[in-house]
Amino acid sequence: MAQLTGVLATAHSPGLTGFPERADPVRRARVMAGFAEAAGRIRSLRPDAIVAVSVEHFTNFFLANLPAFAVATGERHLGPVTEEMAAFLGIPQRHYPGDRVLGTHIYRYALAHDFDPSLADGGFDFDENFCVPLELLGAADVPVVPIVVNGVNPPYPTARRCYAFGRMLRDAIEAAETADSVVVLATGGLSHWVGMPQAGTIDEAFDRDFLARLEAGDAAWLTDYDDDQIEAAGNGAHEIRTWLVAAGAAGVPFEILAYQPTPEWLTGTAVAAARMPEPAAAPGGPRTSDAAPR
Amino acid sequence: MYALHKLLWELRRDPALAERFRVDPDGVLSCYELEPQDRAAIRAGDFRALYCRGANPYLLYFCALQIGVSRQDYYAQLREGA
Repeated sequence: MAQLTGVLATAHSPGLTGFPERADPVRRARVMAGFAEAAGRIRSLRPDAIVAVSVEHFTNFFLANLPAFAVATGERHLGPVTEEMAAFLGIPQRHYPGDRVLGTHIYRYALAHDFDPSLADGGFDFDENFCVPLELLGAADVPVVPIVVNGVNPPYPTARRCYAFGRMLRDAIEAAETADSVVVLATGGLSHWVGMPQAGTIDEAFDRDFLARLEAGDAAWLTDYDDDQIEAAGNGAHEIRTWLVAAGAAGVPFEILAYQPTPEWLTGTAVAAARMPEPAAAPGGPRTSDAAPR
Repeated sequence: MYALHKLLWELRRDPALAERFRVDPDGVLSCYELEPQDRAAIRAGDFRALYCRGANPYLLYFCALQIGVSRQDYYAQLREGA
């Protein structure tokens, strides 16, 4: 059976890879140190797969058919979707490997457990949502199961539902038989405005309050948001719904690895990791050198 | 509003359509069943009007970039009178 070994959440602002130099050098260094710390942790967990939870910015889906949740089960995912976007993000176009088996398992598990995500069984392309964090975390070669939460057009799945989806996701991962170590990675947020007059504004009070809830790991407090409260921190702030999925999957408090309000990147930019309990020894034998026989 | 959103989305996704729109905007617009106000606003490049009418900001912004409006100009326009 698979183990959910890590749960992390990061920003996916295009500026992180596309125009990092525009940000204040100290802020930039602190954010990048947070990403480096997160990258090291993921590496040490040696994940067989990453379940990556984000929004998608009308790259694949449109209002003709807009899923509240979707699971992408393709064998590979093109990203960034166009050469133009690749140039903007400073990330070369490539195919990211998908974990079709785990993705299909999660989709089936969700349906069997009263969640009804859409299926994206192929042809699912990435924008900054997955490309930016996977590149910064050095995780672009790890097979990925992309999961999309609608954070781009109201109405949205509630904070409560996102958290519950995360709990289901953890159960699905733990019921998987084709992987040992799986990491959940949420991307997006925090406060920001896209295509609106306030673009470049950061709502630091909103961000810090959200991060305090995440650090407390209190499900009731974390999910105590309505759409208007989140919208007040920008149309992009709805991306915290992906973090709520991660929080539901982890079920424990998070450690904040970085937070900087970064107007030049247009976001409150954060990196966080769940304080996961030490893994139990795997049935097949000890996983760490500490547990080795003496 | 759906027809406007469809236009904005398709202009962003299809560079050939965006190019045709630059050359022959009326020809492209006639293929969409737009509300008269929406049609007049997009024809005039008035993104602020479309924003005020409730167009999705992501679709609006991405479309503007695709048809050759700079980020600075887009946001300057939206902030006029804001």
